[in-house]
Amino acid sequence: MAGHDEKGRMKPDEPVGGSTGYERHDRPARLNRRDVLKGLSTVPALGLFGYAWNQQRQFQQTTAEAAATAPAAPADLQEINVALLGAGAQGQVLTESMLRIAGLRFRAVCDIWTEYNQRRVVNTLRRFKHQVNAYEDYREMLDREKELDAVIIATPDFWHAQHTVDCLEAGKHVYCEKEMSNTLEGARRMVDAARRTGKLLQIGHQRRSNPRYLHCHGKILQEAQLLGRIVTVNGQWNRAVTPDLGVPDRYAMPEARLKQYGFQDMHQFRNWRWYKGLGGGPIVDLGSHQIDIYSWFLGANPSHVMASGGNLYYDPKTHEWYDTVMVVYDYDTPAGPVKAYYQTQTTNGSQGYFENFMGDQGTLIISESEVNYAGQLYRDPNAPAWDEWIQKGYVSAPRVHEAPAASDEAPKAIADVRESVPPDQHLVPVVLRDPYHQPHLQNFFDTVRGNAQLTCPSDISYETAVAVLKVNEAIEARSRLSFRPEDFKVEGATT
Amino acid sequence: MNGGRWPMIAITLLRVVVGWHFLYEGIAKLSSGSWSSGGYLRQARGPFAGLFEWLASDANLLANADLITMWGLTIVGLLLMLGLFTRLASLAGMGFLVLFYLANPPFVGYFYSIPTEGSYLVVNKNLVELCALLVIFFTRSGLYAGLDRIVHALLTRRPRLAPAPSVS
Repeated sequence: MAGHDEKGRMKPDEPVGGSTGYERHDRPARLNRRDVLKGLSTVPALGLFGYAWNQQRQFQQTTAEAAATAPAAPADLQEINVALLGAGAQGQVLTESMLRIAGLRFRAVCDIWTEYNQRRVVNTLRRFKHQVNAYEDYREMLDREKELDAVIIATPDFWHAQHTVDCLEAGKHVYCEKEMSNTLEGARRMVDAARRTGKLLQIGHQRRSNPRYLHCHGKILQEAQLLGRIVTVNGQWNRAVTPDLGVPDRYAMPEARLKQYGFQDMHQFRNWRWYKGLGGGPIVDLGSHQIDIYSWFLGANPSHVMASGGNLYYDPKTHEWYDTVMVVYDYDTPAGPVKAYYQTQTTNGSQGYFENFMGDQGTLIISESEVNYAGQLYRDPNAPAWDEWIQKGYVSAPRVHEAPAASDEAPKAIADVRESVPPDQHLVPVVLRDPYHQPHLQNFFDTVRGNAQLTCPSDISYETAVAVLKVNEAIEARSRLSFRPEDFKVEGATT
Repeated sequence: MNGGRWPMIAITLLRVVVGWHFLYEGIAKLSSGSWSSGGYLRQARGPFAGLFEWLASDANLLANADLITMWGLTIVGLLLMLGLFTRLASLAGMGFLVLFYLANPPFVGYFYSIPTEGSYLVVNKNLVELCALLVIFFTRSGLYAGLDRIVHALLTRRPRLAPAPSVS
């Protein structure tokens, strides 16, 4: 006869009356009322826990819904039926922003990674009461979802052109993530399809709709001209070393499906930005956003580019593109020549990302990340006073310099006649409290309703694509390359 | 149990609140949908940091570590609250806490950029909770107030297993 140990497990061949350990405690020999009561005495704590957890869940749900649910739409607001094509990390970022925009109805989600991405976004949307259909093949989605007004595309770069062209030709407006395409030929097809179909095509250079950038461009640079003549620009995106994205085996896609959609394996699928033919590397992924701002703020396209880059750090087998790139552009702006430096490196994240415009009267450091760069402006001592612009609210009042502490221990600062007097520091008084992509998506949907104009239509983003994709070419060529003005234009209709 | 009634009630209370904590840590991770220990593991410090970073570096290992953590915490919490298989649950709970403690040990000379809510030197709340489980383990609190008592009473009722001395 088998015995039992103290954990209730069967113990074979325990001798009767042997040392089971039970005897050491004055435990009752049979189940009495007292045992039942004491045995169950902590069960009510579980009920209390259940109650507390339920309260907590309700609280979290209410706050999440309040934060994410679109504000109540006015009754006459035309509802826009949208689909998400590409439900990876960027697709989710866009989805979260869109859930905060009034008057949108999600109808469909398409992603080839049905095991993970697709399921995750569909679940999120269903939580917010959007009854969406899920697709693996976007053509099937376009065939079936006849009522769609707009498609949001966040697939890998090498799919952008085909996805965009097919969606536009199916009569949908398109918001497509940057980079427009990994090839200029693809980008041209997109511009051409937008022109031919008359449908809207917004590209996801979201800083173009950011109120801080709009304020800096419209008020500080154009109207007040606080920087004077911009002569140099520098900017960077420094990113810390990051491990490759992996995937647990149970979520892996079948090889046939990966191949069907242009990927060798799951590693390539997850880390497509690093592979030639799929993405463009960090300079295209990150630099594209900021080089777009260079051209926008300078009001010109570059005339020349020289660049140096290489794969200095990562395994070149899995990181075909350059992990480090340094670029110098020449611009011939209406105000005069400009040199613009940009670097992206993926081996050290300190000092993050920003764009720094330096004119003969002032400096503007701006970044999408307000946490790190609050939008500082420096007025050069020889520039006219900014009082008028402070009164108008274009810039904040200058920060008062604190007198250096007169300490006996600190070495006395020696004023050198060659040093400039430190400039006053001001701040850009406009902040964005919404997610970064929300204003850009809002601009797209406002334009769909006919109430706005796209801030980044395809012909503008084509110019950026020309400037950015040329960097990789310049690195390979190891020489200074020039742009012709006509390089930035898409002429006529191609087929 | 030895030591009288009030100490055992106090230890039962201790077991229930530690169980509550485990249960909520587990349930909160399970219900968040996207929780992963990856970030925590990659931030590991101290002499065992390499082990935790290695765990985070492989997607399959990490996925398993996540599952074990989420479900482990939940189950340990539930068992501790109910006083069922208390010793097994205490052991498992201590196992988790040893790992949590070693991933970010508050040893002399380690500085954390993540702000904490208190000040710790060698002893932190993980270690305190671990010691609480040690008390629960050795006092077998489930046998005083918990389902273990019922389980054991049912089992010991069988005359062959625990014959009453008067019967023989």
